[in-house]
Amino acid sequence: MAEAAATAGAGGSGTRSGSKQSTNPADNYHLARRRTLQVVVSSLLTEAGFESAEKASVETLTEMLQSYISEIGRSAKSYCEHTARTQPTLSDIVVTLVEMGFNVDTLPAYAKRSQRMVITAPEFPDPHTYIKTPTYREPVSDYQVLREKAASQRRDVERALTRFMAKTGETQSLFKDDVSTFPLIAARPFTIPYLTALLPSELEMQQMEETDSSEQDEQTDTENLALHISMEDSGAEKENTSVLQQNPSLSGSRNGEENIIDNPYLRPVKKPKIRRKKSLS
Amino acid sequence: MPLTGVETARMNRKKGDKGFESPRPYKLTHQVVCINNINFQRKSVVGFVELTIFPTVANLNRIKLNSKQCRIYRVRINDLEAAFIYNDPTLEVCHSESKQRNLNYFSNAYAAAVSAVDPDAGNGELCIKVPSELWKHVDELKVLKIHINFSLDQPKGGLHFVVPSVEGSMAERGAHVFSCGYQNSTRFWFPCVDSYSELCTWKLEFTVDAAMVAVSNGDLVETVYTHDMRKKTFHYMLTIPTAASNISLAIGPFEILVDPYMHEVTHFCLPQLLPLLKHTTSYLHEVFEFYEEILTCRYPYSCFKTVFIDEAYVEVAAYASMSIFSTNLLHSAMIIDETPLTRRCLAQSLAQQFFGCFISRMSWSDEWVLKGISGYIYGLWMKKTFGVNEYRHWIKEELDRIVAYELKTGGVLLHPIFGGGKEKDNPASHLHFSIKHPHTLSWEYYTMFQCKAHLVMRLIENRISMEFMLQVFNKLLSLASTASSQKFQSHMWSQMLVSTSGFLKSISNVSGKDIQPLIKQWVDQSGVVKFYGSFAFNRKRNVLELEIKQDYTSPGTQKYVGPLKVTVQELDGSFNHTLQIEENSLKHDIPCHSKSRRNKKKKIPLMNGEEVDMDLSAMDADSPLLWIRIDPDMSVLRKVEFEQADFMWQYQLRYERDVVAQQESILALEKFPTPASRLALTDILEQEQCFYRVRMSACFCLAKIANSMVSTWTGPPAMKSLFTRMFCCKSCPNIVKTNNFMSFQSYFLQKTMPVAMALLRDVHNLCPKEVLTFILDLIKYNDNRKNKFSDNYYRAEMIDALANSVTPAVSVNNEVRTLDNLNPDVRLILEEITRFLNMEKLLPSYRHTITVSCLRAIRVLQKNGHVPSDPALFKSYAEYGHFVDIRIAALEAVVDYTKVDRSYEELQWLLNMIQDDPVPYVRHKILNMLTKNPPFTKNMESPLCNEALVDQLWKLMNSGTSHDWRLRCGAVDLYFTLFGLSRPSCLPLPELGLVLNLKEKKAVLNPTIIPEAVAINQEAANNPSSHPQLVGFQNPFSSSQDEEEIDMDTVHDSQAFISHHLNMLERPSTPGLSKYRPASSRSALIPQHSTGCDSTPTTKPQWSLELARKGTGKEQSPLEMGMHPVASAPLSVFTKESTASKHSDHHHHHHHEHKKKKKKHKHKHKHKHKHDSKEKDKEPFTFSSPASGRSIRSPSLSD
Repeated sequence: MAEAAATAGAGGSGTRSGSKQSTNPADNYHLARRRTLQVVVSSLLTEAGFESAEKASVETLTEMLQSYISEIGRSAKSYCEHTARTQPTLSDIVVTLVEMGFNVDTLPAYAKRSQRMVITAPEFPDPHTYIKTPTYREPVSDYQVLREKAASQRRDVERALTRFMAKTGETQSLFKDDVSTFPLIAARPFTIPYLTALLPSELEMQQMEETDSSEQDEQTDTENLALHISMEDSGAEKENTSVLQQNPSLSGSRNGEENIIDNPYLRPVKKPKIRRKKSLS
Repeated sequence: MPLTGVETARMNRKKGDKGFESPRPYKLTHQVVCINNINFQRKSVVGFVELTIFPTVANLNRIKLNSKQCRIYRVRINDLEAAFIYNDPTLEVCHSESKQRNLNYFSNAYAAAVSAVDPDAGNGELCIKVPSELWKHVDELKVLKIHINFSLDQPKGGLHFVVPSVEGSMAERGAHVFSCGYQNSTRFWFPCVDSYSELCTWKLEFTVDAAMVAVSNGDLVETVYTHDMRKKTFHYMLTIPTAASNISLAIGPFEILVDPYMHEVTHFCLPQLLPLLKHTTSYLHEVFEFYEEILTCRYPYSCFKTVFIDEAYVEVAAYASMSIFSTNLLHSAMIIDETPLTRRCLAQSLAQQFFGCFISRMSWSDEWVLKGISGYIYGLWMKKTFGVNEYRHWIKEELDRIVAYELKTGGVLLHPIFGGGKEKDNPASHLHFSIKHPHTLSWEYYTMFQCKAHLVMRLIENRISMEFMLQVFNKLLSLASTASSQKFQSHMWSQMLVSTSGFLKSISNVSGKDIQPLIKQWVDQSGVVKFYGSFAFNRKRNVLELEIKQDYTSPGTQKYVGPLKVTVQELDGSFNHTLQIEENSLKHDIPCHSKSRRNKKKKIPLMNGEEVDMDLSAMDADSPLLWIRIDPDMSVLRKVEFEQADFMWQYQLRYERDVVAQQESILALEKFPTPASRLALTDILEQEQCFYRVRMSACFCLAKIANSMVSTWTGPPAMKSLFTRMFCCKSCPNIVKTNNFMSFQSYFLQKTMPVAMALLRDVHNLCPKEVLTFILDLIKYNDNRKNKFSDNYYRAEMIDALANSVTPAVSVNNEVRTLDNLNPDVRLILEEITRFLNMEKLLPSYRHTITVSCLRAIRVLQKNGHVPSDPALFKSYAEYGHFVDIRIAALEAVVDYTKVDRSYEELQWLLNMIQDDPVPYVRHKILNMLTKNPPFTKNMESPLCNEALVDQLWKLMNSGTSHDWRLRCGAVDLYFTLFGLSRPSCLPLPELGLVLNLKEKKAVLNPTIIPEAVAINQEAANNPSSHPQLVGFQNPFSSSQDEEEIDMDTVHDSQAFISHHLNMLERPSTPGLSKYRPASSRSALIPQHSTGCDSTPTTKPQWSLELARKGTGKEQSPLEMGMHPVASAPLSVFTKESTASKHSDHHHHHHHEHKKKKKKHKHKHKHKHKHDSKEKDKEPFTFSSPASGRSIRSPSLSD
């Protein structure tokens, strides 16, 4: 920011006049903010060694500063909303700054610089203003209630989701006189039906990975572990840890041959001969 | 082939004397199949074949090959153009104008049509005339190379194209094509000798899009780009002699996986499925190891390929060195239920690689040996992989299936022998189809045939021991592999064919035992044994008096004479007794060992040596008998109904360690609803060591008992507390634990118990509220987040449970079902179903098991009157584009709707689907389901049963299904179920004139189709000098007047002529024709084929029948009764005895009349005959019947 101020030193050709009289409170507020920013810009300029500055260049710098700050605000807001929060946190700001190309690491040093100008500001409120004593509700740890809650929550989500889908799309009905009580999402044929039928959904894949890693520890079956390791060695199969297949005897023998697989389907396709003989035996 | 033809032929004939006698006058040694263009857009194939044959007779002048639906452009023999005709009587079995509608008639005509092109009888659809320039060459028995150019356009059978309609290139769309069919169906996609007994080596070439892979039999020699680099050609070489029927092909944008354990094994699947393929095939090497070990023989081919494709014809199809599977067998590691099923399919296909592909069969009647051996070694694999319990359970299941089927239909014959001409010996007169040929068999019969074959193989093992059995297999295999390595000695190749007699001979050589009685009982004869057993204990003599009766009079049964094992569990231990079942002895005295109650305190020794404590208080104090088992080893194909006291069954259930015994006792206990039975079943349910399938069936038995005991039942509903204890949380018993399916036994039990519980009923015959809430809670609290496995099958069974809990709605005056009068319980159920079904759209489950269950449940609700009955929903799910399991479930509901609501519209909709659906399996399945759950049966009055339907179905089986044997037989089955064997009763009774007309056609025209065709062959084969007389050959180069006149005599032609003629004259009858034929030049031949080819009585030419009737007046088949003009009242009114004499009189009368008329018209006919033949000249294509009008002359010639 210092550089920005420095480079913008002279030769601004601001045509906007700040002398416009406004009467409504929003504009007043706007002007007040702008004035504060002007003060900041001026002090930064002083700090950078300027004795005086044209009004137009100060205006330009102020404009730049303002848009920079608004952008930080806007972007931070998006980041916090993205994570389903309403209050931006420090990390939102940091991410924003990083995203805008600002080297965050230099910020503390800049803040601690010696020749900082102090702008007079009203005093901070009393210390007790900052003290907060949050009150928690005891987390529900009763198993039955938790299960109940999880079940009904899931059911509510599912119902809401399916109802929404049913409302927005075509439906079928079991009763001729009624289409809303038991709406069935209309059956739609697929072009390649076996893919949806056979491939596990992403959710299931995720679950499988989770349970795989968590339950792998419980398995004391060393054979299976050995198999698993050898699989990882080859790096080929990841999901091959089914308990149904336990054949350690073969897993050892294959390591050596791994690199010399000769299978006709893996061979390169030959180029046609210039004069191909008729392909009859 | 560098081989002297003469030598080969001689050797061949020499060999023929000893073993295999080829029905063909030549030996095929090598065949090239080259498909150089495959168009997925148009679904067409262009290519050529080249067959290298050696004549084995000097005067070979025509060569018959098999070919169906192929368009043949050109045939050359040794580079000389050859004339050919293409005539396929199976395209249209009966003449389309024929008004015949009885099934008996159709079946005979169909069997005759199939035999007329049967390669095992030396016939074929394609008949090629050897050019006269080559006759000398042939006489020297020198090699002939037959080159045939052909194309296939939109094949309806044999090759199946799957082309999804999405954007992108064919490879991106996942378009693929594969060969499929039932038994020998290779002729559907290239001309060949489509027989399992004609072996040759193969060179296969397929040019496909560069992004595709062509997988076929044998070794992939090389892959070469075409010049424009946009396509590549796959060259395959199969050096092991193989039958054409074992040749296959799959082309598609497959993902390739080399088996990590066996690099010569390659797996292929459709795009995106590679992870599933990896998991699914990761087990295959163990199956390989197992078979190679027990057979002490290496896998015969140098490579093996598995291809997983969509829209499969059957789940598993084994071909030489390659198997084609349904893609729906693929699964991920999370799926429990599908895993064993898929592994079984893999193992099954591999067993068939040894027996079925590598070792082929000599004739259709030897099929049982191959199916038996492959099924038997597959059983051994099951035993090793899933354990003895699973194996025995499976054997019991298979035994029950075959017994039920045979008792229902009247028997399955493994080794049909067709004696020449003895028509009374027709081995399958009880069936509505001929068993002479695989292509006429009902699919259900064929599956049962396979089932019986492996069971009989097991009986042989019981007799000669497994060691000998495996030695026999090894011997067969090593003989075959020696023969197969004799590259240029094709006469040796018949060693690779197995025959019943050869198999039996090697059994007796290896084991030295005579198994002839066993073979006679189970192989040469159909039927199973039905035992009824009861006993009494004679206290004085300390003897068990066992009475064993047999029922051998009802259909499907036979009398058993021989040893029978009986196991008696006494207090002192278990004892085996072998009884000799003889003609007249019913009672058998078996001495008992234990004095009753003597060793009260001792533990009781069981069969397996275990000693257990039993509570003996339930026993009869006087008797030492705990339980008795008849034929415990299942060494007879039988059904046993044994009577013993309830406590004996209970002891048997608790303490007998054999799962079959436990299963039997569970079945028996259903009849004893007592607290003691309840206790025994509950104990079994709780026993962790007990086999899980036994525990599962105990659930259902317990539900039945609970329902019978409903008034005295105490405590919570059956199984509820048990389930709570096993699967629910300790702290909150109404909530089920989060799913953990690590223990499969308890997983299966957990799945099954709620389904059985839902069958419970209270005093009002309603499902108890408590049970319904319980199931709803299970669904509500189901939590699979921490589970390693998918819970889709579990959730599907919960929906099944909900469906099971539904009871018929109380309906007041047939009020219309609306939401307002919906039962509150049903509302809850519907809510769940709706939610599940909708969630499936967002998060589909594996194989859409949940959708399937939901659809079934909705149908149950409809059927019970809770929801208005409406097929619209099911019809939308039955559309093409849904997953096949969903479609089948939806179609099943529509079939059921059709039956319950007698809806003509839905029946039509189904019938249309049978004709038009793109997936052959679905078409087959609809027919199958309609047969199983028919809208009406033959003895039923139904508004659906009308003439139009009869015509429609008749057309379907007559010509509509000629591209798929299985489908046609399915249509025949349906026709049989709906209308029976004779003329459908809904048809109007024909008027006199019409009848005679029909009779005419039946009597004279149709049976002649085949005999004549055969006659021509035989004549030609026997009489080398008959070249100029050749009939049925239109030589495009020299069509002399002579030949044309004889052309007239071809089957279809004469048939068309006569019908035309009849119509023109509008003459009620032209009886003279029957006499006219024998009088013609080939009269001498007719008796020959009427005996040689038609062993079924009704295919016998009508004139001989009429003569027979004239003499005796007794031969009255329903067919003739149906056709008889005097029958003006409904036919069923007549009984054979009462009308026999009357009819005979009439026949007598008619016969005379015929004779007279005949004389009059004889001249006229001949005249017409000639006249017609000249007409034919002008339009060459009318020469064949309309049905076979593919191509007679090559288009290239007509250009």
